[in-house]
Amino acid sequence: MDKATPKRTLFRRATGSRELRRQPLFTGLSWLVLLLLYAPIAVLIVFSFNDNRSVVVWTEASLRWYETAIGNENVRKAAWISIQVALTATGVSTVIATMAALATTRGGDFRGKSAAIALINQPLMIPEIVTAIATLSFFSILRKLTGISGIGWLMLAHTVFCIPFAFMPIRARLADMSDTFELAAADLYAAPWQAFRHVTLPLLMPGILSGAMLAFVVSLDDVIITLLIAGPGETTLPLYILGQIRRGVTPEVNAVSTILILLTVAMVALTFALQRKRK
Amino acid sequence: MIDARDVTKRFGEGASAVTALERVSLHVPEGSFFTLLGPSGCGKTTLLRLIAGFELPSEGEIALDGEVIGHLPPNKRPVNTVFQNYALFPHMSVARNIGFGLEMLNRPKAEISATVEEMLDLVQLGAFAARRVDQLSGGQQQRVALARALAPRPKVLLLDEPLSALDLKLRKGMQGELKRLQAETGITFVFVTHDQGEALAMSDQIAVMSAGAIQQVGTPEEIYTTPQSRFVADFIGDTNIVPAELLGYEGDKARIRFAGGQAVLANAASATLAPGAVHVAIRPETITVCDAADEAALLHGTVLDSSYFGAGSQMRIRLRGGTEVQAQVAQPSPTGCEVGLIPDTSMLQVLVD
Ligand SMILES: Nc1ncnc2c1ncn2[C@@H]1O[C@H](COP(=O)(O)OP(=O)(O)OP(=O)(O)O)[C@@H](O)[C@H]1O
Ligand SMILES: [Mg+2]
Repeated sequence: MDKATPKRTLFRRATGSRELRRQPLFTGLSWLVLLLLYAPIAVLIVFSFNDNRSVVVWTEASLRWYETAIGNENVRKAAWISIQVALTATGVSTVIATMAALATTRGGDFRGKSAAIALINQPLMIPEIVTAIATLSFFSILRKLTGISGIGWLMLAHTVFCIPFAFMPIRARLADMSDTFELAAADLYAAPWQAFRHVTLPLLMPGILSGAMLAFVVSLDDVIITLLIAGPGETTLPLYILGQIRRGVTPEVNAVSTILILLTVAMVALTFALQRKRK
Repeated sequence: MIDARDVTKRFGEGASAVTALERVSLHVPEGSFFTLLGPSGCGKTTLLRLIAGFELPSEGEIALDGEVIGHLPPNKRPVNTVFQNYALFPHMSVARNIGFGLEMLNRPKAEISATVEEMLDLVQLGAFAARRVDQLSGGQQQRVALARALAPRPKVLLLDEPLSALDLKLRKGMQGELKRLQAETGITFVFVTHDQGEALAMSDQIAVMSAGAIQQVGTPEEIYTTPQSRFVADFIGDTNIVPAELLGYEGDKARIRFAGGQAVLANAASATLAPGAVHVAIRPETITVCDAADEAALLHGTVLDSSYFGAGSQMRIRLRGGTEVQAQVAQPSPTGCEVGLIPDTSMLQVLVD
């Protein structure tokens, strides 16, 4: 008997995954979580293909709501604004985040380094509505002082809140990366910028791609800050959807939402593909 | 070639400051295989990093060919490094790794590819040019790292324990290969190790370091046969360190007496010690064992045991003062026997503590 005990633990370990699956709650719970997460999205996508005004009664599959949505000039304009803002915010915030990550991991020990890291990450902890209101009043002052208006302000706001999202994965990757590669490059006559261009940057690329992806998705999805900052004619896709559902959910809104999901998924897929190619 | 003058390196400031090197002066002759030998934490890597330019000296200066380079960044120094973990660029092929230095120096493409070919042949990796570096074995990565550091033909090659990651057999092979590369290229090698066997086998000159200071510089033979300090004698290996009384100096010799023996002349590095208690190094193979009553015996003790090692036997003897010594003899005396010891006085070395 006492001989059998260790054997049984060994056996348990080896077949751990099967044992887990056999637990009565495990399978049920997993399905429940998956259902709660994805059923609403599935329903939304399915009814975007419904040939009917209703979003609860299914009649027949059709692309008519996509035709309506794409034919709708407001949707096209909103999509274009979203993409412009997201691309600008992604580009600028990724560059800034990369520089910040380099400074905090490769800049040696400077006074206030941990404070700098905390300050960069802090916006993640502040409620977005607070940031939104603060940005709104700050930008109103600036707008009045400078007399400048336009979509630039929205891009600036997005850039700012994207920085911490881009910063996290880039800094994590740099902190993991030994600086011996950079020393080796310098030892082999690379000037600092050459070492960065030929060694640090390529090795850091997976982190930069993850950071850029996060920034893009966060910017594309943002509602609260955008709602307060966006001027007339600066309606992004989420704002357009929000405006539409005030008048009830229509299949057209479903179609636009599906397009937004598609954009996000495409971005994530692209990042994965790029990272796999590098490997 | 390389001259370090009174180089001090401190890390940190104030109370938490660590002095890694304390007024180190060193001359590395051109074209030599020069080894820095010492226990962990004695400052070998720090000295190498100062020569490479990864650190700047806190005090003192470092000159290469008479030109002070101590404050130039690494990319401005004609010095290349083989890193302990190789630090090969993982996103580049073997060939691009080897050509990287020349690429950064803006050499023409044709010259780069010719040199890369030559280097691949030199380290016998001709078939691997297009491989990615993570598809190589440890020994092969080692050789790529060597080729990469040699390709720009530096004036000095720095090697920080390059063999420590290899298994014993591969390490022996690489020792020979490194010697061959050094001889073939004529480049000055500064080699770091904490393995005294490796240092003795490979070097033209060895600098033995301890606690941030250089203890002794010399050829392997000098270091082995005439260690000047107790630390060096201890670190280099199997020598006996025996207490004695220093009576005074006569010319460049020291007059000493072991407990219960008569006064003899021994070698001394310098006449700096005050008369009194000192330690003397006696190599095991220079001891003759005789009868306890023999007039010529300088030391007396009891045989603890002996073991046969092929060319003779190794005896362990406890001296009357309690110190244990080893002697290599053809015919061992039986265990428990009282014996006298006659060391070859021309090989006795008075040690500085
Ligand atoms: N960047 C640093 N900051 C603080 N102390 C350091 C630093 N680098 C080295 N030291 C200290 O300096 C001393 C010498 O270190 P060094 O790395 O030169 O030793 P080493 O002889 O190469 O040892 P090992 O054989 O273990 O590699 C050690 O006490 C070490 O802790
Ligand atoms: Mg070291």
